[in-house]
Amino acid sequence: MFLARGTVVIVVLFAVAFAGRLYRAWRSGLQADRPAHPLVPASLLAGAARTWVVFTSPYCATCGPVADRLQLSDPSARVVKVDATREPHLAGAFSVRSAPTVLLADAAGNVTARLVGAEAVEAYVAAR
Amino acid sequence: MPTPAPIDARGPRFNQGVLAVALLGGFLVDWRPVVPLFALVLLAGAALGPKYGPFLALYAKVIKPRLGPPKTMEDPRPPRFSASVGVAFLGSGTLAFAAGHAGVGWALALVVAALAGLSATTGLCVGCEIYLLLARRTSVVG
Repeated sequence: MFLARGTVVIVVLFAVAFAGRLYRAWRSGLQADRPAHPLVPASLLAGAARTWVVFTSPYCATCGPVADRLQLSDPSARVVKVDATREPHLAGAFSVRSAPTVLLADAAGNVTARLVGAEAVEAYVAAR
Repeated sequence: MPTPAPIDARGPRFNQGVLAVALLGGFLVDWRPVVPLFALVLLAGAALGPKYGPFLALYAKVIKPRLGPPKTMEDPRPPRFSASVGVAFLGSGTLAFAAGHAGVGWALALVVAALAGLSATTGLCVGCEIYLLLARRTSVVG
């Protein structure tokens, strides 16, 4: 009986290890397909010299206040919100894992700053 | 509804690691009380918050201070939902044991063990992904 149970445990461990390997291979494949330094699309920049891109999600309550805070502290910049769940390819291109994730882009779309979380945004704004 | 404070993502992963090891160990030696016991452990963390989950509290008080600051903080709602799913599975497993269907009870517990092990070792939390899918469909705003 113990042998049979041990076999089942080993099968479960192998299944977990196999699923883990598949998941990691899938994740690394996604990352390999991405350019190292993606540009923020021109449609989001709309010609602005500085654009804050705020990646949000439907369950993120701090994302709206973060966007408002950025607009108040940097009135000359454009602030645009992107729902990461509705734009998964864009979120994936910038390795967005949580909301809010905020990018600062120059006029050409180069990302010049990246902030993850409302606290990081607050710290950045306070330090300016 | 106020936004819950973000949590160190390593806490739930530690909890899931302990859960996977305990359930597999319990299955190996046919110690059935491990299933209701860990249903209660998960229920405490899911229903009352991380500081009431014994292993989440152990992580926060003993392990976390010995580690560096977390690189990522996460919304606590997806892991709490995931724990709730685990409670449902382990609760059903407990009922199956009580009804004399040990095979069903262990099968449910092993599903939880496998998913908890996967989450602990890779970070892929299936219950959290289900929560996110539901949140997208229902436009849940926190």
